Amino acid sequence: MKKRGIGIGCTFYGTGYGNGFPDISTAFVEIHDDGSVLILTGAVDCGQGSTTVLTQIAAEELGIPTDMVTITCADTGCTPDSGTTAATRQTYTTGNAIRLACQKAKKTLLEWAAKELGTNTIEGLVIAEGKIMVKGHPQKSITFKEACAKARFAGNRLIGEASFTTHATQVNMEDGQGAPYWPYAFGTQIAEVEVDTETGKVEVLRIVAAQDVGKAINPQSVEGQIEGGVAQGLGWSLLEEVKLSSGNITNPAFSSYLIPTVLDMPEIETYIIESHEPTGPYGAKGVGEPAMLSAAPAILNAIHDAIGVRINDLPATPEKILEALQEKK
Amino acid sequence: MIGTKSFEAIVNGEQVKLNIPQNLRLIDVLRNYLGLTGTKEGCGEGECGACTVLVDGEPYNSCLLFALQVQNKNILTIEGLASYNNLHPLQESFLEHGAVQCGYCTPGMLLVAKALLDKNPNPTREEIKVAISGNLCRCTGYSKIVDAISAVAEKGVKR
Repeated sequence: MKKRGIGIGCTFYGTGYGNGFPDISTAFVEIHDDGSVLILTGAVDCGQGSTTVLTQIAAEELGIPTDMVTITCADTGCTPDSGTTAATRQTYTTGNAIRLACQKAKKTLLEWAAKELGTNTIEGLVIAEGKIMVKGHPQKSITFKEACAKARFAGNRLIGEASFTTHATQVNMEDGQGAPYWPYAFGTQIAEVEVDTETGKVEVLRIVAAQDVGKAINPQSVEGQIEGGVAQGLGWSLLEEVKLSSGNITNPAFSSYLIPTVLDMPEIETYIIESHEPTGPYGAKGVGEPAMLSAAPAILNAIHDAIGVRINDLPATPEKILEALQEKK
Repeated sequence: MIGTKSFEAIVNGEQVKLNIPQNLRLIDVLRNYLGLTGTKEGCGEGECGACTVLVDGEPYNSCLLFALQVQNKNILTIEGLASYNNLHPLQESFLEHGAVQCGYCTPGMLLVAKALLDKNPNPTREEIKVAISGNLCRCTGYSKIVDAISAVAEKGVKR
């Protein structure tokens, strides 16, 4: 008999290395004569889209279009260390480092522009539409490009470097006090499953995934991260298990270690929740790992809702489900 | 010692003639002899689909074929999908929909999708899923890949 059930999983996840481990990113920035910008940073993009997001952060901070920004990531010959692409930390930690480095380069440029445009401080200036303008008097302006060239010709160097350290403290093992991670990411997923009580096979029919990302700097790649996270969470719940024998992996192939194919995946409905993270770049925090966590509790709760058994050992294979059904009888 | 043999085929529209060891796989000839490194070797045992190429319009795992099995056939790799100036509509659509993350499965996904649309210009979502079910993707959860292929099918762009 095929039985359906619905389950919900809610998780929170501490991003960053955590527990007081030094969690630092560094970025260098230089603005050239023609107003184009070069960013150097050690953040590795392995497909999750950090290079795009970091480019967007630099462009936003400098008030220029993204196509004026060139970014070189993770070249040990020229980029400063930005830690590993791990712990869901690059948007947050390296994003903050780039923002701070851009602020320094921008300050030098605006200090020159303040003299040129006759304002007392740089607070009266804004960069928009390819120009540096006096706030409230947009007719008093100089193009960004011209300003960069003239400021440099006057002997200024429009460079900035910054490191950002994620704030986390070691937990006191005596009393459990401390702030082991910052920031935390929150997510909820709801799964609908169909369990075949004769074969023990679980089919996931639908997943609704909501993830708090602070601010979605690139909503399309955030969705991609959530959808990919759901697929990995589904695989973790139902298929994936590294089997060991005397320290050797006995299933080191895609024929014996199964990961979801497109036919294992339900349609995924994603919801991006934006609750501003005050310490993040433009309110952003990471999305990578937390997006996969809620799927497992959601699917296991849905299995319980469908057939009344608790599976506490992943993956929930047909064998385990049949055994649990047998025990229930 | 394994002897060499003459190998002839049309690869991405160009006639190719090589002397190759008889035991070479098609992927080895493509990558190591012709420099067509867009074809990726994932598992090397026909499970992941990353090395998919089209042989006379049909998708094959190039890690499971001896090159000499495709003697005189017409082979399309990812390098031959776009025309000189323009990306193929499927490539445009993958970019537009964010269907690429790490990119390792992308060449295979695109070629399988092309083979599908050449045969069936208006596939259902389910037919698209069946067509790409031999191609593993670890990053995307497949949603945006299916969306990207659907969008091209819906537009009915001439391919």
